[in-house]
Amino acid sequence: MDALAQGPQVQVKFVTQQRQYAIPETAIQTPARLKRYGLSQIINLVLQNEGEKQKPFDFLIDGEFLRASLAEYLEENNLSTENVLTIEYVESMLPPTPLSSYEHDDWVSAVQAHHLGGFVTGSYDNHVRLWNKLAECTQILTGHNGPVKAVQWLTSNGDSGTLLSGALDRSILAWEYNNADNSHSVLYECRGHTGGIESISLNATGDKFASASTDATIKIWTTIIPTVSDHIEEVTETRKKRKTVKEDRILKAPILTLAAHTGPVSAVVFDPTSADTLYSAGWDHSVRVWDVENRVNVTTKNCEKVVHALDYSQHSGLLASGHADPVIRLWDPRTEDSSVVKQTLSGHQNWVTSVSWSPSSSYMLASGSYDGLIKVWDIRAKGALYTLSHGKGSKKVLSIDWSNDILLSGGEDNQMKIHKMQDMSEHNEA
Amino acid sequence: MPSTRPTRKAAAKAAPAPTKKSPSAKAVSTPSKKSAPATAFPKSKKRTVAEAQREESDDEFGDVEIDMASDDEEGDDEDMDGDDEEDFEADEFPEEEGQDMSAADIEDDEEDDDSEGSYMDGDSIVDSQEENDEEGSDFDDILNEDKDIDPNFGHNLNEPLPVEDDYNPIRREYPEIDAVYDSDSSTEENENTVGNIPMQWYDDYPHIGYDVDGKKIMKPATGDELDKFLSTMDDPDSWLSAHNYKEGQDVKLTAEELEIIRRLEGNRIPDADYNQYEDQVEFFSSHTEVMPLSAAPEPKRRFIPSKHEAKRIMKIVRAIREGRIVPRKSGYVPPKPKFYNLWNDTEDKPREEHVMHITAPKMKLPTHDESYNPPAEYLPTEEEINEWNELDKEDRPKNYLPQKYNALRNVPGYGQFIQERFERCLDLYLAPRVRKNRLNIDPESLIPKLPSPRDLQPFPTRLAIEFLGHQGRVRSISVDPSGLWLASGSDDKTVRVWEVATGRCMATYHLDELVTSVVWGPSKEVAVIAVSCGYKVGLILPEKIFSPELTLHSEEYLKAGFANAATAEANSKAQWKQPTPAEFDQGIRVWVHLQKAVKQVTWHRKGDYFATVAPDANNSAVLIHQLTKHQTQQPFKKTKGAVQRVMFHPTKPMFFVATQRYVRQYNLQRQELIKTMMTGVKWISSLDVHPAGDNLIIGSYDKRLCWFDLDLSSKPYKTLRYHQQAIRSVAYHKRYPLFASCADDGNVQIFHGMVYNDLLQNPLIVPVKILKNVHERVDALGALCVEWHPTQPWLISSGADHTIKLFS
Repeated sequence: MDALAQGPQVQVKFVTQQRQYAIPETAIQTPARLKRYGLSQIINLVLQNEGEKQKPFDFLIDGEFLRASLAEYLEENNLSTENVLTIEYVESMLPPTPLSSYEHDDWVSAVQAHHLGGFVTGSYDNHVRLWNKLAECTQILTGHNGPVKAVQWLTSNGDSGTLLSGALDRSILAWEYNNADNSHSVLYECRGHTGGIESISLNATGDKFASASTDATIKIWTTIIPTVSDHIEEVTETRKKRKTVKEDRILKAPILTLAAHTGPVSAVVFDPTSADTLYSAGWDHSVRVWDVENRVNVTTKNCEKVVHALDYSQHSGLLASGHADPVIRLWDPRTEDSSVVKQTLSGHQNWVTSVSWSPSSSYMLASGSYDGLIKVWDIRAKGALYTLSHGKGSKKVLSIDWSNDILLSGGEDNQMKIHKMQDMSEHNEA
Repeated sequence: MPSTRPTRKAAAKAAPAPTKKSPSAKAVSTPSKKSAPATAFPKSKKRTVAEAQREESDDEFGDVEIDMASDDEEGDDEDMDGDDEEDFEADEFPEEEGQDMSAADIEDDEEDDDSEGSYMDGDSIVDSQEENDEEGSDFDDILNEDKDIDPNFGHNLNEPLPVEDDYNPIRREYPEIDAVYDSDSSTEENENTVGNIPMQWYDDYPHIGYDVDGKKIMKPATGDELDKFLSTMDDPDSWLSAHNYKEGQDVKLTAEELEIIRRLEGNRIPDADYNQYEDQVEFFSSHTEVMPLSAAPEPKRRFIPSKHEAKRIMKIVRAIREGRIVPRKSGYVPPKPKFYNLWNDTEDKPREEHVMHITAPKMKLPTHDESYNPPAEYLPTEEEINEWNELDKEDRPKNYLPQKYNALRNVPGYGQFIQERFERCLDLYLAPRVRKNRLNIDPESLIPKLPSPRDLQPFPTRLAIEFLGHQGRVRSISVDPSGLWLASGSDDKTVRVWEVATGRCMATYHLDELVTSVVWGPSKEVAVIAVSCGYKVGLILPEKIFSPELTLHSEEYLKAGFANAATAEANSKAQWKQPTPAEFDQGIRVWVHLQKAVKQVTWHRKGDYFATVAPDANNSAVLIHQLTKHQTQQPFKKTKGAVQRVMFHPTKPMFFVATQRYVRQYNLQRQELIKTMMTGVKWISSLDVHPAGDNLIIGSYDKRLCWFDLDLSSKPYKTLRYHQQAIRSVAYHKRYPLFASCADDGNVQIFHGMVYNDLLQNPLIVPVKILKNVHERVDALGALCVEWHPTQPWLISSGADHTIKLFS
C-alpha cells in the first residue's frame, strides 16, 4: 500500500447497480494515477474476491467509461482532486471469443440465431441453410430464385419449426422444417413486392411480420398459415419457365402496404414491446416510425445518408442505424424532432450495413461493416469496446445478429462466424 | 670715526659670508668661469666684464671686441684722464680725507678678510678661488661698491662723469660674484638714503649719508692727490672709473656703460638696440578693416528699422497689390544646377533621384563556406561533391565547392574570377534598374470567394465498394434508373450487372467483341441495357433481377419492332436482327448491325430512341434508332468532322453532336443547327448535358474540362484544367449539383456545379474533391468512365485496371 500511496490522492466513492458486487458507499482515498485495472483491484479487494474469483470491472464517471487514469480524467474535465468523485462500476464485458465458422457456398447475406440453438442463414446462392451448434448444416432450403437477403425465425422447438426468408426474387417464403426426418417444405409464398426483399421482422406477439423491399414499400403480413392461395392479381405468365418454377405454392397477399419511403427500404424492425410499432429505414435517408394498427407513419427522421441497417433495443429504447458512411447513429424514436441524432458512433472505415443491439444490455450493440470488421460498442464509451475481424482481408460483413450470448456474422467470405459473447443480462437486472 | 669702523667691518663680514658659504652658488658659478657665457643676470654681466678684464691682464686678449675698445681708448683716455684729473683736483679735494680714511679702513678690512678667509679655509669647494681672493683681498668692499653703483648709475650719468684721477688701491681682479638672490644690492643695508641732493652738503661731515636704519654711512677713506695720481699711474684702467659722489668712491665703469657714454658723446641714442627708423605701423588709415579694432558700441541706427527699407518694401507691396508684380507659384522649384561634381565621392548622385530607381545590387559578402579554411561542417562530403559534379552548371546552387587549405598562401588563384566579374557586369548591365509600375495585388484576393466544400456536402469522399470481376478494361458503366443495379462493359467482351449496394455481380453477358458502351434504358418501365460491341449494338434484358411484370413488359417492348421491321424496307446502314437462341437465353433480345465500329450508344430520355456513334462511318456516323419500330434514321446527310459523342437533350427535342473541336446543337424537330460551341480544345473525348438542359460539359484529351452555358455564349463559361492527363469521361449528377471527370492519370475530380434557375446568375463551380489514384494506370490508361448514382451522391468509376469503384 505504500507504493499505492504515492502521488496525489483523490477521494472516490464507488457505487454500483449490480447488487451482487455492491460495496459500502464510503469515500475511499485512492491514488489519482490509478487506471481501470487498479480500481478494479480495489473493488475486488473490498469484495474479498481472490484468485480466480477476481472479476474485472469497468468504471463509469458521469455515464462515461473511464479509459485513462483518474488524474488524467480530472485534468481533462478540470475537476479538483479535493472533491469526492462518485464512480459507478460494472462488471466488464469479457472480450468475445470466436467459436466457429460455418462454410457456405456463397456470400452469406442473412443470419439469425434462435435462442434454442439453431442458426438460419441466407446466402447468395439462393439457399436458406439451417445449422446446428456443431457447425453442421442440417437443412438446405431451396426454393428462392435470388439471393436470400433476409431470414426470420417464426417458431422453433429445436429440431423443427417454421421460418421466413426473403430474397431478391421479390418473394418471401415461409418454411417448415423438421430436422428429425430431414424434411422441409414451403408453407406459403408471400407475393406482392416488386423489388427484392431486404429485411423481415416479426412483431412481438408473433402474429404479424413486416417486410422491407427495394420497391420502396413495407408490407405487413400475417403469420397465419393459409390453406388456399389469396387472390393475387398476377401478370399473365406467358413463359413456361415461370410456370414450371411456380408449382403449387400457396400464395399469400399482404394485409397492409406502408408506402411512404421514396427509395428502397433497407431495414424494418418491430418494436419488441409494442406489437404495432414498426421502425423502418431506407435509401431515402429517412428513419420512420409506423403505427401499423392505424397504418400511419408516426414520425420521420432524416439524416443525410442512406440507411442500410436498423435495430431497436427494448432496453434502452433507442434505434441504432447503419449508414452509407462509417457512422452508426443512435435515435430516440420518441422524440418528435425529425433530424436529431442522439449519438453517433464512429470507428468503422466503410459503410455500416448491419447493426444489432445486445439482447440483454441497454448499452451494448454490435455492428458489421463493409470494412470487414465487427465492432462491439458500449454507447457509454468513446470508441468501440471490441473490434472483431470477420474474415481474412477486408471482406464485407453483410449481416450480423446478436442473440443471447451468441454473435453471428455473415459476409462476403462465404463464412458465418460465431462469437461467444458474455451474457450481460444479469448485470442489468438492477 | 672709530664708531663707524665696526659697522663697516660687520657689514663687510656680513656680506661675503653668505656668498662663500653657499655651495650651490659655487657650483653654478664654477663652469661659467671657464666658458664665460653672458648670463641674464645683471650681476653676472658685470662679473663677465670683470672676468674679461682680468683675463686680459693675466693671459692674452680673450675678448677681441672689448680689448679693441679698451686698447683704442687707452691712449686717449690717458690723455683725458690727465685732463680730468686737473679739472677735478680743486673740486674734489675735500674728499681726499675721507678717501684716505676709507683706505685705511680697507687695509684693516683686508686683515679681517684674511682672518675670515682662514676661517673659511675649511670650505674645500672654495679653495681653488681663495688664492685669487687673497690676491684681491679687498674684493668685498669692491663688491659692495660695485653694487652701490648699480642703482645710482642712471643718476650719475646725468652728472658729469668723474673720469679721473681717483686713486683706486683695490686690485682690479674681482672675485666671482655669487648670483644669489639675496645678493641683490637693493637689499643692501648700507645704501645711502640721502636722496638726490647735492652731496657737497656732506662735505663738512665725516659721513656721507644714512643707511636705511638711519645710521650714518661714513665717508670712505680717500687718499691724497699723490695717492690718486699713483693709483692712476698704476692702474691703466683708471680712466675707466668714475667717482660716485653718493658713496664718495671711485667706481669702475663697465663696457656697456662705457658704450652708452660713447654713444652719448656721439649724439647717438644710448640704447644700441633701439631702432629709431623702424617701419611705421599704420593703425589709423583709410583702409577699412574686416574686424575693426574699434570697441565703439553699436550705433543706434542698428536698432531702428530703416525708413528707407520700409519705403522700398512698401513700393513692392503696392506693386503686388496693383498686379504689376506676379508672385511665383507655390510649387516653384528653383532649377537645379546643370552640372554636378564628377569627382565628388561622398554625395555622388549623378542620376536624377527617382522613386522607382533601384540602385545596383551589391555583391554578397562571402560566407563561411567561401573561407579558405572553412569549419569542418561546411566541407562537402564525397557524395555532395559527386552530386555537385553531376549537376548541370546552371542547376548548381553555388558555383564553387568549399575547400580547405592549410594556409592562405596555399590558396591558388581563383580561376572563376574573370568569369564571375564578367557575369556580374552582365547582370548589372542587363538588370532592370527601374521598377516596373506593377500592381501589388494579393493573388489570393483575385480568387473568387468560393464556398467551403464542407458547406457543399454531400459529395462522395471515400471508397465504399469495389466491383471486382472483370478481366479487362472497363470502358463503360451505367446505373439503372432505380439505382440498384449497375451495368458495366469491358474489354473482356462481357457485360456485367452488379448489385450496387453490395458489389455483387448478378449477371454476366458474354459477347463476341469488346464492349465499348453500355447504357441502361432510361425508362423504369422497360428494363433494357444497350450495349455496343464491335459493329453492332445489342439490347439486353436483364431478366433475373426484375420483377416478372417488368420483365414481361420489357420483353414485349423489345419484340414489338420485329413485326414492324419486316414491313419496313431494309436499311443498309443498320440492320435489326434477332439474336441466336443461345444469345436469347443469355438475355440478348435484339441486335442492330451497323457498318462501322460503334463507339457510343446513348438513349433518348423516353427510352424509345437511342443514338449510336460510329466515327469511322463518315456521313452515317450518327444514327438514331427507334426501338419500338426497329427503324434507323440518319439525321445528318453530312457530318462535319469526326463525331466523338452525341447526346439527347434531357427535356427538349434537341441533339448534341461533339466533333473533335466543336459541339453542335441541333433541333431534331425542325432539323436545323441551333448553335455551335467553340470549345477551344483539341480533341473532345466526352460530353454530358446538365439535367436541366441549359448547360453542358465536355472533357477533352488535352486535359481540359469546359463548361458551356448554352444561353450565355458559344464559348466556354469555364475551362477547368485540373487533370494531369487526358480526360476520358465527364458526368453530371441527375439530382445533386455535382459533376465529375476522370482522366488517364487515374484521378477523379468532383465538382460542385450549381445551376440556378435565375437566368442572371451564372453557374457556381467549386472543386470539392479530388479522388487520387482511383484507378491504377495500365498502358497509359487510368480511369475510363465515371457515372453518378441516379439517386444518391455516389460516384461510380471504372478504369483500365479492371475495377469499378463506388465512392460515397
